[in-house]
Amino acid sequence: MTKNRRTMISVTLILLFGFVLFYQGTDGFRAFTQESARTYELLKNKPEFPSVTLQDSNNRTYTFEEFSEGKYVFITFMYTNCGTVCPQLEKNMSEVYDLIPSEYIGEDIVFLSISFDPTRDDPETLTKYRSYFGSDGETWRMARINNQEEQDKLLERLGVVVIPDGQGNFQHNSAFYLIGQQGHLLEMMDYTKIIKASDTVISYLNNKVED
Amino acid sequence: MKLAKYGLVLYIFLALPPVANLLESIMIVHMHMQMPLLVASGFLMAGFFQLKFPNFLEKWNSNGIPGIILFVIIWSYWMLPRAMDEAITLQVVELFKFISLPFLAGVPLRDSWKKLSSIGKDIVYLYFIIMFIVMAWIYIGSESQLCNNYLLVEQKTLGWGSLAIAACMIIYLLQLIFIDQSEFE
Repeated sequence: MTKNRRTMISVTLILLFGFVLFYQGTDGFRAFTQESARTYELLKNKPEFPSVTLQDSNNRTYTFEEFSEGKYVFITFMYTNCGTVCPQLEKNMSEVYDLIPSEYIGEDIVFLSISFDPTRDDPETLTKYRSYFGSDGETWRMARINNQEEQDKLLERLGVVVIPDGQGNFQHNSAFYLIGQQGHLLEMMDYTKIIKASDTVISYLNNKVED
Repeated sequence: MKLAKYGLVLYIFLALPPVANLLESIMIVHMHMQMPLLVASGFLMAGFFQLKFPNFLEKWNSNGIPGIILFVIIWSYWMLPRAMDEAITLQVVELFKFISLPFLAGVPLRDSWKKLSSIGKDIVYLYFIIMFIVMAWIYIGSESQLCNNYLLVEQKTLGWGSLAIAACMIIYLLQLIFIDQSEFE
C-alpha cells in the first residue's frame, strides 16, 4: 500500500469517528447543551408528575392530584426574591392566562406557580407576590412544597436545575410546563414566546387530546 | 523517556478525584486549565508511544494530517457546552475525557505537528484563533445558561478567557510578521 492510500484511509476513519462522536454527543445534532438534551429527553419520556404536597398562598394544604383533579395544569417554577427572570416569567404566565378562553379556566385547566424557596416564600409572601401578577389564588395559585425530599424529586423529574448562588439567590432554568390530564408532562415551552405557548395550550384544550 | 514519565505523573495527578473535582468546580479552569493540561500530559507521554509503535505512526500518520484532524476533532468536541456538563454528571463521559484528551489529542498532536507542512500548521493555527473567537462570542453573548452546572457569570468569564487566548494568538502572529525573527536566532 502506498503512503497516500494509507493516509486517505486513516483520515476517512478519523472523520467517521468524529462524525459518530458528535452525532452521539449531540443526539443527532439536535442538542448542543445539556439543557436542550434534557428537554429532548423529557418530551420523549413524558415523565409523570410526582406526588407532592402543596401549601398555597391561602394557607391551604393539598396534594397535586387533589388540585389538578384530571385537569390540565400550567406550571412555572420561581421564587419571590428573584429579581431577574421570575418576574418576567410570571408576567408572561399572566399573559398566557389572559389569552386562554375564560370558559376553559378552572374547568379544564388550572395554573400553578411553584416556589422552590420554601423557607422564605410563606403564604403571606406568596399572597403579596400573587397580587402583582393578577393571580386570583384559585384558578391560578402560588404554592410552596414544604417537604424538601418531595421538592427535590419534582425538580429532578421535570428537569428544573436550581443552583443557590450563596447570596440568597438562585440560578435556575425557566420554562412553561404543561401537565396533561393523566398527570404526565406534555410540553415544555419557551416562556418568552407567549403567543406560541398559549396557542399550544389552546389546541390541547380544543381537541381535548388524550395524553 | 524522562518526559514521558513526567507526563504520566501529571496525568495521574490530574486524575486524582480531589484534584479533578477542584478543577472542574470552576468553569474556566475546567476548560482552559484541566483540559489543556490533559492534552499536555498526553503530549509528554507521546514519546513513549513513538518509541513503542514507530511503524504504526509512520504508516498511518506519515504526513501528520490524520493525527492533527483527530486532535482538532477531540478538542472541538470538548468545547461543546454539553460535553462539559456531561463530564460532570455522567461517569462515562468523564472517563472518555480522561482517555480522549491525552491519548487521542495530546499524543497525535506531538506526533503530527513536526510532520505537518507549514501550510497545515497555518490552517490549524487559524482554526484555533477562529474557534476561540466564536467561543467567546457564544459564551459572552448568550443570555441563557449554556451549562446547567455553572453560573451565568462563570460562563461570561470563560468567554472573556477564550477571547484573551485568541488575542494572544493574534499578537503572536503579528509579531511574527512585523519583527525580524533572524535577530533572535
